[in-house]
Amino acid sequence: MGDKIEVSGFRHFFQTEGGPVQATGTIDLSIKAGEFVTLVGPSGCGKTTLLKAIAGFLTPSEGRILCDGKPVRGPGRDRGVVFQELAILPWRTVRRNIAHGLEIAGAPKAEREATVARLIGLMGLGGFEDRYPHELSGGMRQRVAVARTWAADPEVILMNEPFAAVDAMTRLTLQEELGRLCAATRKTVFFITHSVEEAVFLADRVLVMTKRPGTIKAVLNVPRSTAGGRDWDSFTSDPGMQKIAGEVMHLVHAERV
Amino acid sequence: MMQRWIWRLLPLTPAALALLAWWAWFALDRPPPSVMPPAIDVVVTMANLAFGGRLPGDILASMARLLSGSLFGIVTGMAAGFVAGLNRPIANFMNPLVVFFNAISGIVWLPLVIGWLGIGSPLAIFLIWNTVFFIIFQNTVLGVQLVPEVLELSVQSLGGSRWETIRSVTLPGALPYILSGIRSGLGFGWRALIAAELVGATTGLGQLIFSGAEYHRADIIVGGCLLIGAIAMAMDRWLLLPIEKRTVIRWGLVTSGQGR
Repeated sequence: MGDKIEVSGFRHFFQTEGGPVQATGTIDLSIKAGEFVTLVGPSGCGKTTLLKAIAGFLTPSEGRILCDGKPVRGPGRDRGVVFQELAILPWRTVRRNIAHGLEIAGAPKAEREATVARLIGLMGLGGFEDRYPHELSGGMRQRVAVARTWAADPEVILMNEPFAAVDAMTRLTLQEELGRLCAATRKTVFFITHSVEEAVFLADRVLVMTKRPGTIKAVLNVPRSTAGGRDWDSFTSDPGMQKIAGEVMHLVHAERV
Repeated sequence: MMQRWIWRLLPLTPAALALLAWWAWFALDRPPPSVMPPAIDVVVTMANLAFGGRLPGDILASMARLLSGSLFGIVTGMAAGFVAGLNRPIANFMNPLVVFFNAISGIVWLPLVIGWLGIGSPLAIFLIWNTVFFIIFQNTVLGVQLVPEVLELSVQSLGGSRWETIRSVTLPGALPYILSGIRSGLGFGWRALIAAELVGATTGLGQLIFSGAEYHRADIIVGGCLLIGAIAMAMDRWLLLPIEKRTVIRWGLVTSGQGR
């Protein structure tokens, strides 16, 4: 399969009162259809800027971004986003949050209900369908955010440190659930994190960024066969995975700000 | 169970305390009735005015003016607030006008507007609108601007249009501020209404109070004030609070303080 996302010659500057500030160095990358790519880098390196540009939330100062060979001109339903901040609507119940993308697309009621029911099952949200977000724990809310993005059935999913705000225990569960969800749906995922373990655990390919203005300094393949079922027990006891994690850690360490 | 009942009586205690103080004033120091009437006089006078008197007509006239003026103010204030809150150049254009006209009190308008609209309901409705509009406008602008951008982006990346974003994110997100604006707007709307009716109307609670003042009837003045306050409290409790319970409180945007 061809490249789903293609970023070439991307560079971005923010306009501030003190003049332009360079947010990223020149970045080239491509993501194949069905691939899970994670990006690790120190804070402020431009990870989020790159993700926002792919999402269409900002126009790159330089370079171009293609999705399915077509230039990105703004946000669209072909590229779903899971935000670090809990981007679910407080005034919609769990069910209606998940169904929102399908409502926008004008999907028939039966289809909406079937999709919502399937995602509620996959994400372990059963029994919470009619709750409002403020009645849920942080981990539950982030499950809703993931389900909300998945339900709209975008081909590409962009995730910006989605689990950074949940507690460490819940994070382990969410990471395993995400792995299962991706295996069940075969989406193209671009996932930003500052956690090395998370990056290696989830990825087919890990990209490591330098500090600001960030460029991609290394690309490491994570062989699926080694990853087994993508659960933390087999991950931590797999020497192959630990070796990759060690390498990434070494690369990231050198970029400490 | 017992405790619950005690807590439910809490909102009634200020009224009970006020009555007690009123009674004590008369027990300790008999003020002349033109300064402060005894409670019983107020009750009798209001009952006479209510049955076969002018009171029902006055209440209806005032309520109709208040509700139409406020509704007009809420609709136009929200519409202008959304346009300005979502559009920086329009906000820059409108803000000086809003600050300018907000500073001109209703009383100043009165002599001019009597010339334009004559005496009667349109005048009162204009003065209420002139008060409510600015409060709703400024609250709406603030509410719109405080909706987290990430929620709007999330709807756009689900394929939502600008209109869908406004409908499903901006409007409910700004609602706590809009409702707060409506609450203060209604209160100031009452003030504007009574001021308008003192001069610019022949019916209404403002006129009732004014006629009481002319004949040195403190019982009518106090009775009219009590009635205004009671109607305002009833509207808050049975009109505004139910809306809040179904929306901003239900959504967890505003805590009701219950269960603490």
